[in-house]
Amino acid sequence: MNTWWLSNQILIQSTFISLLLALSIQVPLRAGVFSFAGIGSYAIGAYTAAILTIRYQVPGIVAIGAGVLLAAAIGYLLALLVARLSGLYLGMATISFALFLGVLATNGGDLTGGATGLFGAISTVTTEHVIAATVVVVVLLAASERGAFGRKVDAVREDPQLAVSLGVDVIRVRRVVFVVSGALGACAGGMNSLLRTTVSPETIGFHLVVTALTMIIVGGALSWAGAAIGAVIFTWLPTVLQSVGEWQLLVYGLLVAIAAVYVPNGLLGLLQTGWRRLRRRGRRIPAEGAAAPTGVVVQEDPESELAALGGPTTEARP
Amino acid sequence: MAQDVLNALTLGSLYLLFALGMSLAWGTIGILNFAHGSIFMFAAFTAHLIVQEVSLPIPVMILLGVLVGAALSVLLQVLAFEPIQRRAVDHRKAELQILVGGIGIAIIPLAIAQRITKSVPFGYSGGSFSVTTYDLGFIRVSNIQLLTLVAAFGLAGLIGWWLRAARPGLALRAIGVDSEVATMMGVDRRRLALLTMAVAGGLAGLAGVLLTYYLGSIAPETGDAFLLKAFAAIILGGVGSIAGVVVGAMVLAGIETFVLVTTDGSWTPAIAFGLIFLMLLVRPNGLFGRQEVRRT
Repeated sequence: MNTWWLSNQILIQSTFISLLLALSIQVPLRAGVFSFAGIGSYAIGAYTAAILTIRYQVPGIVAIGAGVLLAAAIGYLLALLVARLSGLYLGMATISFALFLGVLATNGGDLTGGATGLFGAISTVTTEHVIAATVVVVVLLAASERGAFGRKVDAVREDPQLAVSLGVDVIRVRRVVFVVSGALGACAGGMNSLLRTTVSPETIGFHLVVTALTMIIVGGALSWAGAAIGAVIFTWLPTVLQSVGEWQLLVYGLLVAIAAVYVPNGLLGLLQTGWRRLRRRGRRIPAEGAAAPTGVVVQEDPESELAALGGPTTEARP
Repeated sequence: MAQDVLNALTLGSLYLLFALGMSLAWGTIGILNFAHGSIFMFAAFTAHLIVQEVSLPIPVMILLGVLVGAALSVLLQVLAFEPIQRRAVDHRKAELQILVGGIGIAIIPLAIAQRITKSVPFGYSGGSFSVTTYDLGFIRVSNIQLLTLVAAFGLAGLIGWWLRAARPGLALRAIGVDSEVATMMGVDRRRLALLTMAVAGGLAGLAGVLLTYYLGSIAPETGDAFLLKAFAAIILGGVGSIAGVVVGAMVLAGIETFVLVTTDGSWTPAIAFGLIFLMLLVRPNGLFGRQEVRRT
């Protein structure tokens, strides 16, 4: 265990960092907001943490925290700016925001180190800190997926107009989502640049958008667990795929394409459907004569998306 | 100065050829194809592979690029986008899934080309065509530049006319407004979608071959850069508007050339992103876009 831990430290770190990055896209997506601002926040967090550490020798926590606050504030402003946009247009606007930051970093002169980036951001941040931060984030997000707040967010995603008429403050939910996404992205970026001790404009690009998006899509977009599955798969896939050598990228592309086209709810969706089927089968057998109503309720399961709109939820059922 | 204008027009024409098909597909059948850049690159790349074996003249090379581009695009439509549109519960989900599917599929041709070329730029040195430059005193123009300009403006005009005047063009525009009602009016949505994707892919292939001749060689990664420029051109002009995409491509190329000539050029990549962002904030429908008809 210990040798495995030491020899795979980099991969373990990047699993958790990618998870945070993927979550920064997944959180808006869960509320139906198609925003890639999390990628831009990653850049903000990475550069803020590196600059503060190199120039002012502040502790790692403070450096990352400053980046998170800055990115959250920028996220809020961005939410105000792009309030009119939705769907693909919002996606395009936020992608260009993120990529613009990359060019900005290249042209930042001494502050950002230009095209070569910054080196020597040495701090005391360790793998354990990364894991602890991720666990806290995941617990909070998992909590936000349950109960009244979770249902509110689901309603905003499935039908914003209906959500408004039910008294959900859709605009506020959207703004909150932008702020949370900014904070998550910056946290990932800050930790990454302090762990690697460097940051350069090449690390922020279109490929980051692709990576985060593929993790969510292959894993499943509607829950943090999907992002976690995706982050684990795509961080460890290169090690597994070493046997196919140079065709690694091709296999990667095929996986993403197949998942995107044929498994729209991701691996998590597949697992959930399988689990539901198993449960239904388990219940049907004793329910032959005894509990007819249970059977009726369980049959509604495929329409559980409707249940998200304030109807009976899974927890509420017997 | 005149030389810069000509170079900007050539660059704009290449953007135009690339963006025309994307804009058409996005504005009518609602497909924003993120694999367009990969199709563009792979068509040029296939032509490169063949010209290494046999020395071919430029018309055959162009035909090759167009055919490969169209074939890849139709394949993509049949294998990926059609199943997505058939299964998706609503329009918004389909849009998102098409975008993600395109991003995923775009990796495949790129991976193949990178593997074969080892990421070294490729060109058409094996072909029988040679670029000749005519010196007109105040301006130097090459035959490939002339060809690009004629092809871009000619095809944009042709497609614009076809959309406006021909019956299938009307049907295609009707799908863009409301695909269900259009289907009820007897429009064969599937066939028109395939045709649109074929045209889009063919245009991408043409742009790929012409760009490779113009620059001498391109790298497998060129497609991604072109994709983002095309977005800027489309958003600037307005989705689905042919006049819009012409103006968008020319304005983008003009500003880029201007910045490149007057500064050291490190800000050039930011222009496309800045334009997309500003345009979406100020006028999301673009300069020529119609008020969007939102299908719910």
